[in-house]
Amino acid sequence: MSHRRFLSPLAAAIVAMLSLAPVRTEAQSAEKGNAQGKTLGGPGGVIAVNGVRDENLPTPPIGPTPHAADGKPNLFGVWLSGNYNFANMGGALPLQPWAQKVMEDRQATQGRDDPEAKCLPGGVPRITPYPFKIVQSPEVIVMLFEGNVHSFRQFLLDRGHDKELDPSWMGESIASWQGDTLVVDTVNFNDKTWLNGRGAPHTEKLHVIERYSRPDLGHLDVEITMEDPGAFTKPHTFKRTHVLSTTWEIHEYVCNEFNVDVDRLVGK
Amino acid sequence: MTSSPGISAAALALLIAPAFGHHSFSAEYDANKPVNVQGVVAKLAWVNPHAYIYVDAKDASGKITRYAFETSSPNALLRRGWKRDSLKEGDQVTVDGYLAKDSRPLTDGSLHGNARLVTLATGKTVFAGSSADDGGPAK
Repeated sequence: MSHRRFLSPLAAAIVAMLSLAPVRTEAQSAEKGNAQGKTLGGPGGVIAVNGVRDENLPTPPIGPTPHAADGKPNLFGVWLSGNYNFANMGGALPLQPWAQKVMEDRQATQGRDDPEAKCLPGGVPRITPYPFKIVQSPEVIVMLFEGNVHSFRQFLLDRGHDKELDPSWMGESIASWQGDTLVVDTVNFNDKTWLNGRGAPHTEKLHVIERYSRPDLGHLDVEITMEDPGAFTKPHTFKRTHVLSTTWEIHEYVCNEFNVDVDRLVGK
Repeated sequence: MTSSPGISAAALALLIAPAFGHHSFSAEYDANKPVNVQGVVAKLAWVNPHAYIYVDAKDASGKITRYAFETSSPNALLRRGWKRDSLKEGDQVTVDGYLAKDSRPLTDGSLHGNARLVTLATGKTVFAGSSADDGGPAK
């Protein structure tokens, strides 16, 4: 159900203009087809999530792909995850039976044990409604996340993985350019994060390969492959598209400031 | 499109999109416990991960009950037109929301709920739900 029904005609007109947003979208169409929440078609194919939609997302700008001084596509910008069903990862994940059981148990308790609700990092490749920023140099590309908690990922270019690192929430990423595509390879994850809001688990064997491309000014495409011989029966690949905001910035978000939710997430 | 009863067609409805929650609605709130609270704003707590609207409601006997309604994060509210002083102490509001499954009051004694729709005395409505991904009701 859309809250559009509460709109006055004037506000509806404003909202209609604002929600022309993320129109493009092979990936979004795929997400729409697979959405597990109630899906409502809307202007520009905007997708409802469990009957809730974000009417006021900025419209991404139109223009050619920007390039950095070294000639590579420049991924710099504040990026939004759009109106996705955030839990969706291109259909059912190929989970091993134990992992499927864990996911179902987490759903049965209404996601009460989700690390995100405890203000812990969301991990990779989980996305949230919070914006993130990419900052790029020839040696390193950094993703700065406003939320769920402030966190970062750094993609060190053209080097190997550090074999000595302990498992971590966001993993350890290396990257290289293959033509106009940035290929990011991430390992060294702990097993504490959920892959999505539906509670899909993973192990420390998780290996994520992301292929970032910026086909135009306003869009960031990502093809994501997850491998986890500890939790998956086979690798799983899906696509996402993020949209650029020229009006939003990332801001401070101190999740633990007043998280009264922590001991009140009772589930059933 | 239809207008909701009680809201003037001429009223500018400022919708606050329900993004930026960090927990599942149903883990904390009960969709079977809807509330419609009319009262005055006691304070707006501009805090993370969710801003809170505290509302004092008086019953027929004059007894005042304070509710603490969770909304979106301050950043999310700000991006959609709220400011930290958008609601002021003493403002008349009506909050449509849901009570928490855990009925214990917060430490200050207020009843805990989740706001989906806030209607000001002017008729202006603001959507205040806390998450696009929380699985909760749309209003």
